[in-house]
Order: sequence, then C-alpha cells, then structure tokens
Amino acid sequence: MSLLRLVPRQLLRHPLRTLLTIGSLAVAIFLLCILRSLVTTLEATATTARNDRLWVQSAVSLFVGMPAWYPDRIAQVDGVQNVARWQWFGGYYQDPSNFFAQFAVDPQEVVEMYPELVVVEGSAEAFLAGRNCCMVGRGIADDFGWKVGDVAPITGALFPHPDGADKAWEFEVAAIYEPGARNFDDRTLFFHWKLFEETLTKPDESPGVGAIVVRVKDDADPSTVMGAVDELFMDGPQRVQTTTESEFQAQFVSMFGNIPFFVSAIGGGVLAAVLLACINTMLMAAREQRREAGVLKALGFSDTRVGSVLLFQSLFLTLVGGGLGMFLAKGIEPGVLGAMSAIMPGFMIETETLGLGLLITVLAGLVAGILPALATRNLTVIAALGARD
Amino acid sequence: MSDGIQLQDVTKTYQRGGEELRVLDQLDLSMEAGHFYALMGPSGSGKTTLLNLVGGLDLPDSGSVQVAGQDLGGLRGAALSAWRARSVGFVFQGFNLIPVLSALENVALPLALTPLSRKQQRQHALAALELVGLADRAKHRPGQLSGGQEQRVAIARAIVTDPRVLLCDEPTGDLDRDSADQVLGLLQRLNQEMNKTLLMVTHDPSAAARAQRIVHLDKGRLGGVEEVETQDPPGALA
Repeated sequence: MSLLRLVPRQLLRHPLRTLLTIGSLAVAIFLLCILRSLVTTLEATATTARNDRLWVQSAVSLFVGMPAWYPDRIAQVDGVQNVARWQWFGGYYQDPSNFFAQFAVDPQEVVEMYPELVVVEGSAEAFLAGRNCCMVGRGIADDFGWKVGDVAPITGALFPHPDGADKAWEFEVAAIYEPGARNFDDRTLFFHWKLFEETLTKPDESPGVGAIVVRVKDDADPSTVMGAVDELFMDGPQRVQTTTESEFQAQFVSMFGNIPFFVSAIGGGVLAAVLLACINTMLMAAREQRREAGVLKALGFSDTRVGSVLLFQSLFLTLVGGGLGMFLAKGIEPGVLGAMSAIMPGFMIETETLGLGLLITVLAGLVAGILPALATRNLTVIAALGARD
Repeated sequence: MSDGIQLQDVTKTYQRGGEELRVLDQLDLSMEAGHFYALMGPSGSGKTTLLNLVGGLDLPDSGSVQVAGQDLGGLRGAALSAWRARSVGFVFQGFNLIPVLSALENVALPLALTPLSRKQQRQHALAALELVGLADRAKHRPGQLSGGQEQRVAIARAIVTDPRVLLCDEPTGDLDRDSADQVLGLLQRLNQEMNKTLLMVTHDPSAAARAQRIVHLDKGRLGGVEEVETQDPPGALA
C-alpha cells in the first residue's frame, strides 16, 4: 500500500472541485498554447521569408498602385535577376463570404521566384501555357471542390468584369499547389497578369501595379539593390519603398499591433488567476487532510513523505489539467489552420510551445503544492490530531 | 534496560494564551511489559500528554522516557518515526481511519514502511482484519462501517506490524456500550494472548476495570497505581 495511492483518491474526494480546477487549468493552458502559437506563427512567417526577394510598394501605402512602367525600369537595375508584378484582386467565389486571396501575377516569374510553391496536381507548365489558367492552393481547391481542368468563377469586387459586375471572371484550374514553407498559405489563387491587364484596360491604358517582387541575383547585395530601386524613383512620379521579403512580412505582422505583448498579457493574466485557484484548492485540501496527515505521521511515515502526498496531489491536478489543455489545443490545430490560413498561413502548435505548456503546468503544480506540502510537513502530530491534555 | 515503559522525572509544559502550563510535573512511573494499564484522571491531568510522550509523538522538557528498551530522548525526526512504525501501535478515540481507503488499505498502511511485498502486505492486513473479526468488511470504506467496526479496523491497523506496545486514547469514548465491550474484549485478548503491553487512557471506570492496573494521574503527578482484582475473561482470539 503505497502512499501514492492516496493521491488520486484524495482528489476524487471532492470530484466537482477537482473537475472545476482541472477544467480551469485546461482552459488556461489551451489558451496559452493557442495564443503562443499565433505569435510563433507570425514570427515564423517573417523569419522563413527570404532576403533575396525584395518587395517594392508605393511609399504612400501598400494600397496605392504604382505606374505600370515601374517594373521595366526596376528590371534594369544592377543586381536584379527578374521582376514580377503582383496585384491584389479582391474577388470572391459565388458569395462574398467565400473570401480568399487572389493575385494577378507574372506567372513565369512567380513560378521561378517561388520554389516553395510545390505543384501537387496538374503542372506549372500547364499554368504557364494558358492565358486564362490559374494555380490554386490545396486548401481552397478542397473547400470548393475544384479539380484540375475545372473552371473557377471569381466575381471581382475591386475589379468587376467589364461585361458586367455580375459576370464572374473565369479561370481554368491548371495547377494545385501546396506550400513548401510556412511563409505561404494554401488558400491563394494566382492568375495571369496579361489576362487581368487586357480584360480591364483599353489600348494604351494600364491598371497600375500594386506590388513588385524583385529577385536579387545570387552575387548581388540585396541592400544595395534596395537602395538603387528607391533612388530610381526619388524624384517621382511616385516614390517607392523597397524592403526584403522578411521585412515586408514583419511590417505586415506589425499591422496587428504588438501582438506578443498583448498575447503575453492575456496569457499571463489567465494563468495567474488559475494559479491562485489551484493554490486555493490545495490549501483547502491541506486543511481537510490535516488530521489524516497527523495519523500518517503517528503511524511512522516521515514528515517529508506525508508532505509530499499534497505536493503530488497538486502536480497530478495540474498535469491532468495542463495535459488536457495541450491535447485540446493540438486537437483543434487543423481547424485553426483552416480558419486562419488567409491571414496567418502555416499556423501550428510547435513542440516548443507544448514544452512551454508542460513547463508551466509543472511549475503551477509545484507552486500550488509547495506551501500546503511544507505546512503539512512541518505540522506536528499533536497539532494535527489536536491531542493535548 | 526493561522492556516495559519507564518515565523518570518527566516534566512537560505547554504555552497556552501566553501562560506556561505544566502538564506533567516531575513524573516517575514504571509499567511492566506485557501488562494492560488504564490511565485515569480528571481533564487536564496529563493523561494524553503522557500517552504522546510514550508514543514518541512529543518530547519531554526534562526527564527520560524509555519504551520497550529504547530511550526516546536519543531519537529525533526520521529515526523517531521509524521507531514508532516498529514499536508502537495507536488507537484513537475518533478512530482516525483514512476515509478514502478501504478497511484493508487502512490496515495495510503501516506495512508500506516495511520491506514486505505488496502481496505479503495484503496477506498480513487480511490476517489482522480476521483477528478483529472483520475480514468480510475488507473492501468497505470507513463511512460504510459502524463506529465499533471502525474502531476494530483501527485496532487491526495498530497491530498489523506486530508492535510490542499499544497506546489507546479513549478507544471506547465514541462507542455505545455493546461496541465498547467488544473493543475492550479485543484489547484484553491482545494483551493476554499476544502479550502486548497496553496503555489505555479512559474516563470510564468500567473500561478501566478491564485493565490489570489503573494508573491515576492528578495535576501532572502520579496519584497512585491500583491493582484491578477481578477481570471479565475475554474470549479466545479468532
């Protein structure tokens, strides 16, 4: 008969109280894992982005277009390997609630510049060959049931079809990709710039360019190229701001505000509240088990052994709660990934985050259990049994 | 060194409300091994304190306490705990069973401090429960037992490690007359058939009459030791 057998039995003495404490800890650790993963995912988006790709945007704002001739001028800068135009299309499939990212791009250049776009169905060649072809991410292909060869009708909210606002743009699905890195999602549709340009504009007109991606030659210094591109348009007609892709992603992340601080504050607050609840639970348990602790000591169990029963109860409580929270967080990971992939591609709960959750769980158990355990350890048999005459 | 219980010049004081309370005052007492002693006296006379000192639950301010050949003055902490586990069994007024454990698990608790295997622990605990006539209640929890049955389980727990000394603090205080008779009969048999040294604190003269000798305490001093002339014969142990 080991004293450890007492640990779960004592906790089950008040099943509702134990259940509520476990539940509160599970929620806290669940939140911690999810919130922490939002931060690590955002950071990973920036850190996995490459420095040999530069993003050129209007110095005014990302949402202000640049003259259509800028890409040709940038392509002439020393150190530039090639240039791709990107334009946010802002359409939807069938219903405005089916919102996802679509970009008009220079297809050849994008395929060359982004090896992390791994084509898993159809082919990049097929995508490049047809002017009305598109390449879509696995996520939206699955959501909308698109297969290679299907037509994806997209209603242009920002760029209505010239034949009528109700008429959808039609793109033939030629390739389905999966992201090979965490800086890319699987819910984007790429289609040909030429189709975009020719459909929207009359001869000698251009819709402008939202962003220009520059691939720097392997032997060139990205910062020198960045300076040269900015210098190029210093006198107008519109100044540009050039950053590396990782800086661009970091700026995008910063648009969410100081998320790490925000997340840490929320997570820390929740944890502190739950920790106080755990301490309270264990102090109540120590008070209830005071007499039994005295009996165990009278029977010959050492002070440390009797005190450790309470410490193990605390650890058991927090490990079950924390484990449940981590299990739930890992369980809903695919759901969060699907729901947030448009704004936060590559969401995942990393092993380090689970490790942090486990560490906090163990620390919470130790902190909640140490005071009751020490008090019980230092309790004399006489005081515990109230035996004095 | 005797196998019985010897207290020499023992003084014990407590602080209560800023006042020093002398509970035992230069007490000298000798009790023989294998005898059944009842300890009587008015409230505050030092009965429970004496029991605590003999059981190694507390230490005297001065004087010496020797139990079953061991001078307790030389023991502290873990050594004192280990001695308690080996040498004495406790029976309390409120039974003090662990409510979340079955009768069998309660009885087996002290065996966790022995090198016995889990199977052997179970066998020993079952044997002790049989001895007190409660083998059929092995799986019951304390809340499912009557007061008398709880106290018999507590006695089984006290004897399961085969200690030489049993210390009982008002063991029948919370029991009705029939249950008290059963418990006292059991204690008598443990003394007579297993040669246990018993020291029982009681307020009840009829309970004290089941002992062989009655020690009277008064204001922390020995009031006298009375030989009990006739005893009810206990039945044989199962």
